[in-house]
Amino acid sequence: MGQSKPIGSNTILIVEGEALVRFDMTAFFEERDWRVLEAEDADQAMSVLDQHTDIRVVLIDATVSGRMDGLKLAYYVRERFPPTLLFIVSGQAPVPQEALPQRATFLPKPFDLYRVLRQIEQSPVTP
Amino acid sequence: MSVSTALLNRLRDLTIARPRPKPLRYGLTVLAIAVVAFVQVALFGSSAPWFLYTPAVVLLALFLGPGPGVLATVLSALGAGLVVARTDLPLLLTPVHWGASVIFLLTTLGLVVLVEALRTALLDADRLREQREKALVVTAEREAFLLGVLGSSTDCIKVLDLDGKLTFMSEGGQQVMEISDFNDVAGCSWPDFWQDAGNVEAKAAVEAAGRGEARSFIGKADTYRGTPKWWHVAVSPIAGPEGRPDRILSVSRDITELRASEEERGRFVRLAENSTDFVGMARTDGSVFYMNDAAKRLVGLEDADITRLTIADFFPPEQVETIAREVLPAVGRDGHWAGELDFRHFRTGDLIPVLYSVFPITDADGTLIGYGTVTRDFRERRRTEDDMRLMNGELAHRLKNVLAVVQSIASQTLRTAPDTETASHNLGARLVALGAATDVLTGNSWRSADLHEVATRALAPHGSIGERILLDGPAVTLKPEVTVAFALALHELATNAAKYGALANSTGTVALEWSVMGQGNDAILSIAWREQGGPLVSPPTRKGFGSTLIERSLRSYFRGKAATDYRPEGLVFELEARLGDAATVNE
Repeated sequence: MGQSKPIGSNTILIVEGEALVRFDMTAFFEERDWRVLEAEDADQAMSVLDQHTDIRVVLIDATVSGRMDGLKLAYYVRERFPPTLLFIVSGQAPVPQEALPQRATFLPKPFDLYRVLRQIEQSPVTP
Repeated sequence: MSVSTALLNRLRDLTIARPRPKPLRYGLTVLAIAVVAFVQVALFGSSAPWFLYTPAVVLLALFLGPGPGVLATVLSALGAGLVVARTDLPLLLTPVHWGASVIFLLTTLGLVVLVEALRTALLDADRLREQREKALVVTAEREAFLLGVLGSSTDCIKVLDLDGKLTFMSEGGQQVMEISDFNDVAGCSWPDFWQDAGNVEAKAAVEAAGRGEARSFIGKADTYRGTPKWWHVAVSPIAGPEGRPDRILSVSRDITELRASEEERGRFVRLAENSTDFVGMARTDGSVFYMNDAAKRLVGLEDADITRLTIADFFPPEQVETIAREVLPAVGRDGHWAGELDFRHFRTGDLIPVLYSVFPITDADGTLIGYGTVTRDFRERRRTEDDMRLMNGELAHRLKNVLAVVQSIASQTLRTAPDTETASHNLGARLVALGAATDVLTGNSWRSADLHEVATRALAPHGSIGERILLDGPAVTLKPEVTVAFALALHELATNAAKYGALANSTGTVALEWSVMGQGNDAILSIAWREQGGPLVSPPTRKGFGSTLIERSLRSYFRGKAATDYRPEGLVFELEARLGDAATVNE
């Protein structure tokens, strides 16, 4: 049921357990006319992913709790929704590039939201 | 010496002391008899023809021996016979003369035999006397030798009677025992000189010697002047004429210095034996010859035969080459090597991190005979280092998370503030609340935070605790992940109260009350913020960041319900959560 169509919508899913940080990201993207979906953990994220098939960007904290950790969730997203743009963030030791799913970007916490936005805008909508 | 003895000696000297050659003796005999014959003829003619011969024969036998005596007798008989011989007689001599000649021969020969007996007696006496003189010399020499030995020995040589009383002590012995006059101690009981265990040993040794057994022991005894000394003593029976012990020999040697050096060496031995470090020694070929108990315990060789082991057996295969290529050459070159390696436990095969230190062992001449090691068990240290690394990683992680939270709060503060001054003021106050929360957390190694303490620290800047702000609730230990948000929420509530609520005037109060209903993780934690006595409350037309933060964040962090009720008499904020989600529960 993977989606191969390019995603033109401005919908982002933010998977972050630290609510104070999540609120800021939500506010940041909403101010820029993005539809923001939030998840506190991997389980919530998976149910959100099931309900919304037009998510363009998924930003995951690698340390979120749930049935799977953030990195596993990233692989799940990459497999189920291949065109999705993936950002993985963590305050712990950086995840090496070879451990990341394809076309995923790792950002150490704290990170610059403007940089994330730039990278999204530069990514082609059509693969 | 008596006159007769002197005379005999002289006679002996003249007669037998100087034996003369045979031809001389027999020649002299013939000559003497010839002279006697001439004198006999000249003085007495044919009357008493044997008169002078007898004394001559006796003298010759005496001085020249039995042979010449017999010859002289025969010649005398012939000489006397010739003087009285007559050619007209068919037998040359008259029967009377024959008879006289035979009697002469017999009596004179008898005299020769007697003289010879005398000579032999003289010779025997002489020989006996010489033997006695020689024996005396030998005895004197032996006595001098024994006295010399006794005198020069530094051992204390004593002779005791069977009751253990002193009867003799060598001169050297008197010196080492510091006794100036043996009479002072003669007859004293020898075991009484010994102290403590030595006294028991000495008494036992005397008893044993009485039964014919030899004993030896080491004991402590003061000298006669009181110098304390250690002695090695050998006690043995001296057999009497009947073969039974009738006296006791005791030889004591002063071993005080030896014992002192042994004690010193003993201390070094115990230093190694009692050390809790691994202490071991191996020969230059690597074969192990000593391990202390701590060493055997560390690697599981408690009851094992260590003599078949080599240095390499103690290390995992991958480190054996390090020993051969790096460690031992460095010991030869620099005199030591120290570094972190792993021992291998002989029974379990587990690796044991150690600080391995090696140095050369030399003999008294300085020749290398092997290697020594004092090795420290580094397991605890390694664990501590690992823990420290983990803690450092954890700290970095928390620091980054806190920075991320600060970043979020800063950007939201800036985003919602009407002007930069307000933004700066709000941000500063929020960071202070954040700092108070982290203070409580770091005080508990970021493991937990007491709710009362967090509330006190977060609210103290806004009003006097106990007067304007009242705290009440049981002890609850908040989880670290909710603590920061809780402190910030309290800060926002207090800030709003100071602007529009109970803290805006000088009489209003705020009550922060919390309670726990139920048991264990599923108990319900209820927290309520109630304002009263402030200005009349009306719901805000627009919710700022602060209000949003309070409800939304607490709902998220506490995974519970949060609601704000703008009652006219005062704002009420209520939070309800499962205790296990918010706090550490001790069961």
